[in-house]
Amino acid sequence: MIKVVYSTQHWIMPQIVMGVLVILLAAVIITEGMARVKSGQPFLVKPGRFFIPEYDKLKFWGTLILFIGYIFTLDILGFTVTSIIFVFLFNLLYTGLERKKVIVSLIIAVVSSIILSVMFGVIFNITLPSGMCSVTFADFGFTIY
Amino acid sequence: MFDIGVLQILVTILGVVVGIIFGAIPGMTATMAVAVFLPMTYAYDLHTALYLLLGLYVGGITGGLVPAILINIPGTPSSITTTFDGYPMAKRGAGERALKIGIVSSFLGGMISLVALWLFTPLLSAAALKFSSVEKFLIILFALTVIAALSKGQMLRGVFNGFLGVLVSLMGMFSVNNSFRMVPSFLQSKMQEGFQLLPVLIGLFAIAQIFEEAEEGMRFKIEKVNDEMDSKEKFSFRDFKGQGVNVIRSAFVGTFMGVLPGVGGSAASILAYAQAKNFSKHPELLGTGVPEGIVASETSNNGLTGGALIPLLSLGIPGDSTTAVLISAFMLQGIQVGPLFITQNPETWNTILVALLLCNIVMFLCMFYPIKWISKIIYIPRQRLYPVIIMICIVGAYATKNGRIFDVWTLLAFGLVGYIFGKIHLPASCFLIGFILGKDLENYFIQSVSASKGSLMVFFTRPIGWVIWLLIAASIAYAIIDNRNTKKREQQKQA
Repeated sequence: MIKVVYSTQHWIMPQIVMGVLVILLAAVIITEGMARVKSGQPFLVKPGRFFIPEYDKLKFWGTLILFIGYIFTLDILGFTVTSIIFVFLFNLLYTGLERKKVIVSLIIAVVSSIILSVMFGVIFNITLPSGMCSVTFADFGFTIY
Repeated sequence: MFDIGVLQILVTILGVVVGIIFGAIPGMTATMAVAVFLPMTYAYDLHTALYLLLGLYVGGITGGLVPAILINIPGTPSSITTTFDGYPMAKRGAGERALKIGIVSSFLGGMISLVALWLFTPLLSAAALKFSSVEKFLIILFALTVIAALSKGQMLRGVFNGFLGVLVSLMGMFSVNNSFRMVPSFLQSKMQEGFQLLPVLIGLFAIAQIFEEAEEGMRFKIEKVNDEMDSKEKFSFRDFKGQGVNVIRSAFVGTFMGVLPGVGGSAASILAYAQAKNFSKHPELLGTGVPEGIVASETSNNGLTGGALIPLLSLGIPGDSTTAVLISAFMLQGIQVGPLFITQNPETWNTILVALLLCNIVMFLCMFYPIKWISKIIYIPRQRLYPVIIMICIVGAYATKNGRIFDVWTLLAFGLVGYIFGKIHLPASCFLIGFILGKDLENYFIQSVSASKGSLMVFFTRPIGWVIWLLIAASIAYAIIDNRNTKKREQQKQA
């Protein structure tokens, strides 16, 4: 029997699902532990390393930091300018700082940001984050975000 | 009857070509293509959007064969088995022939699954019309157990992650009594509807991948291959002589695997390849570079496309992660997929069939003749593409609810969640299916139990319910046996 009471019924399903998850978690730990015991290992083993050996610290953490920076800046500077800056930085992060590569990165950042901004914001009329650098052309009825 | 015009044909071509590019670049998938381009469809009506999305889907699945054959790296997971015979053929200089065999097989697989879609969806819908909330609840439960059956050797982890997806989908406000659960009070204004599907999905399938590759240092350099494309062996349609049974069997394996929720193309092509080997007159030749292997693999993974749409349109349950994205396209346009879909939206239903037909034809034309140029796609450096993809993902997430930064944070959060899933071996696709079905699971459960005044017996008293219970039991039994066999095989391999 399950009593469906109006004021508390929003907790019925979450509680059941949590119960199921606890059971499943126990099942995972027990079956995998037993399998280890069978193959001569201890029931519980220390979890392996999280990152792969000699992972690329700069690119991984750089991606995370740039991503967070990108989101924070969107509302301040507006979509187009923020994207030019961060697509450029992502390109530098992934391809390096050689002179030729920097120039390519800059071209990609400017061209792709402007194309996408115009395509989504103007042609498709999708709302993009706006900020200080967004310009509205009231006479023509469109905004470069 | 159905919608088709110049615009629709143009977006189909765009979709197919972009799909092929995504499919052909190793590491980028059809799911990613559809997810990343979904925001483009905000500007279109549903029918035009469907041409674009189905084009991306078909193109993405097919594009995977190019690197599979030329450089032995499957472009999408579903092309794994294409490498078995495709690459040996390319190595002996028959690359172009192998590619063309793959393209024709893909086309045939797509067409056969289209017929299956056309025939079976109305049947399944008609059956599902008789479903009350009890059966609907059980069907979703069934979908969640099928996930288990197919998470090869990872059964429990698959189900666990499926239910974790259900739990996360319940975060937010319950629609009946408007009360929040599992949401900290400072987020309540933003999370009335919980997390939005689109940012969750793009996060899990696109952003997570970028983090993974960043960790590995994005050091991919693909060696240029030249002699593989020498046409020492010419393609001819006679290559398909004697392959009729193989084509039809593989297409149906693909379609059937597509119907089962949560099963990716890789499971379909592996099964089809194994069947082709079992029934082959000369099984020892498979894996050495014979057309038979490519035919089995490519027919089945394109067979998946139509198959995965069957449960989506008749039951509202996505067959794979790509069709899960399609669900959100329907949601955005305010159309409910499920048993009533075909009767209520006959024009959309016809349009889907025509669009899928057109996509397959366009795919064939865009790949078969210009294959020499298409094969250059595999050299596009991903390092240059990822920043642009991040930008498109942000646009998509931001526009989900007409412009909220919160959804962009959701995107990043689930990117990290997906990345961690990969680390602790929890299948992200299971999580996604659970996340999509979670709210319905709850609604049907509460409806059923309310109607029965709290008695759980209601789930065991209806005959259709029994059938579904039987299916649930069968899929769990299959899961346990298959899980054991897979683990045994793995242990034997290690020993």
